[in-house]
Amino acid sequence: MGLLVMSLGLVPIDGFSMGSRVPAVGTAAEDFRLVDLEGKQQSLGQYRGKVVLLNFWATWCKPCTTEMPAMQTMYDKLRDKGFVVLAVNELEDEAKVREHIKQHGHTFPVLMDRDNKVANQFGVFGLPVSVFIDEKGVVQEYIKGGLLTEQVILDTVARIQKPEPMKAASLK
Amino acid sequence: MERYRSYSIMGRKSSQLIISVFLALALSGTVITLRTAEASCGSVTCFVVIGSQQQVSPKGLLTVNAFYNYTPQGTLLSGTDGVIPAVDLDNRQLILGHHREIRTITQMYTLDLNYGVTDRFGIEVAIPYKKIKHRHFDGLGEVNGGAGEETRFSDNGFGDVFINAKYNILPSLRSLLVTGVGVYVPTGDHNQTTAGLEGAETMEPTAQVGRGQVGVQASFYQAYELIPHRLNQFTSGSYRHTFRNNFGYQFGDQFDFSLGANLVTVPWLVLTNQFNFRYMMRDHYRGSLARSQTPSDPTFPDEVIVLDENIRSRSVPTTGSTYFAYTPGFQVSLGDLIQTTLNVKTPLTDNTSLYFYAQVPVYRDFNGNLAQGVSYVFGVTKVFQVLNPS
Repeated sequence: MGLLVMSLGLVPIDGFSMGSRVPAVGTAAEDFRLVDLEGKQQSLGQYRGKVVLLNFWATWCKPCTTEMPAMQTMYDKLRDKGFVVLAVNELEDEAKVREHIKQHGHTFPVLMDRDNKVANQFGVFGLPVSVFIDEKGVVQEYIKGGLLTEQVILDTVARIQKPEPMKAASLK
Repeated sequence: MERYRSYSIMGRKSSQLIISVFLALALSGTVITLRTAEASCGSVTCFVVIGSQQQVSPKGLLTVNAFYNYTPQGTLLSGTDGVIPAVDLDNRQLILGHHREIRTITQMYTLDLNYGVTDRFGIEVAIPYKKIKHRHFDGLGEVNGGAGEETRFSDNGFGDVFINAKYNILPSLRSLLVTGVGVYVPTGDHNQTTAGLEGAETMEPTAQVGRGQVGVQASFYQAYELIPHRLNQFTSGSYRHTFRNNFGYQFGDQFDFSLGANLVTVPWLVLTNQFNFRYMMRDHYRGSLARSQTPSDPTFPDEVIVLDENIRSRSVPTTGSTYFAYTPGFQVSLGDLIQTTLNVKTPLTDNTSLYFYAQVPVYRDFNGNLAQGVSYVFGVTKVFQVLNPS
């Protein structure tokens, strides 16, 4: 039986200030900066003008890894049509993440949320979570659970990129 | 046990499994062997933090815990002789020095259901089935030359159902703080009688499977990932108050506090170490007060001597306790274990864990009553997706 050090004194104070709030659909997504696996700084703001699929994941999360092939397929298909995937890894060792990405041949940017800050910013307290953000940086869809399929991504991106006819009509 | 959560799970053969769990619980407690005499004494239960029981399930998920709890109470601590009062419910009398305790074994089978109404708000329902076996000398100063008569009895049945509303006030991937407010519904029988040859007598309140009155409980559970997905710490606390029942008996307030940590060794094995503290205040009784005769009484041995015809709320000596224990344990994730070792994935073992804890007393003061010994908890957790996540 492993001997564990048990002390409340080990708990950082910021551990208790992590109340997450889910961003409402129709509100602007808050910008952030994270380092990707290549060591480059990436921000949400730099993808303004594109539809962004912001996916929060971890290698141990089975629903997360199950939906990633669909994300890769749609990233390959739609990347030239104004679509980007940002896979935000939560609190994992970089080598482990790198190995997973290499093993599965994923090519979309993988960002490392080492201190859980961006997850808290987007109200994430269970994995996976996928947030679709439109060209103007507005949250259009917030999906909890491993529900992403190629069709779901395709339909969501199409809906975001093409305003609904009814809405267009009513604007006239 | 682990703090991290996945929103989606597999496996939907939930109804069959729930029925199986119910059947197992029902079958496990069918033998009823009541014997003679008025009951006595306390029955205690061991208490551990299981984690999946304390958390709020994500929206649409049902977390089922079915666990067995074995608690012996048979140790006479230094300076105690095991002589305690009797509570005679039929005559509404508290009789000092009337029983000499030998042993109590409490076994509890609990079905605990946790459902996530939202990702932060959940409802918990715990249904206990209790078995109490007890052995003592009854009638000190009264029968058998004042030595009393050895009696054994047992009591079985469903206890008080606990309904708890929980809210996760600080959710994040790394931490949580859950608060709960719950009610103990007096569903358990508190009128069980002995099956003695000289007529049935109502057993003492502490030997009944139900308390006979509503109880309320406030609680919290906090957890934090010290090393994400590897090591997490937790604390838990609760306060329980039970109102006076229609026999005039009121169980003492109960304070529980636990502190511990979980270590993920390999994905299918989690080791747990925790410390548990329980402080129970004395029970109170309304009725009359009497005492057993002692050799110094001229009529010894004989009927009890009434001291006060009307006590309004007298604390019952030898109830209440202070208990501090160390509890090591482990949890095995069956799905991960089978997949790792046999490379097989089945819905039966998916999202299913087995756990075992041994609660070892470190410090205990039971106010002259028998002290709680090493206790055990063995159980299974299964998570079912009732509604699709959205």
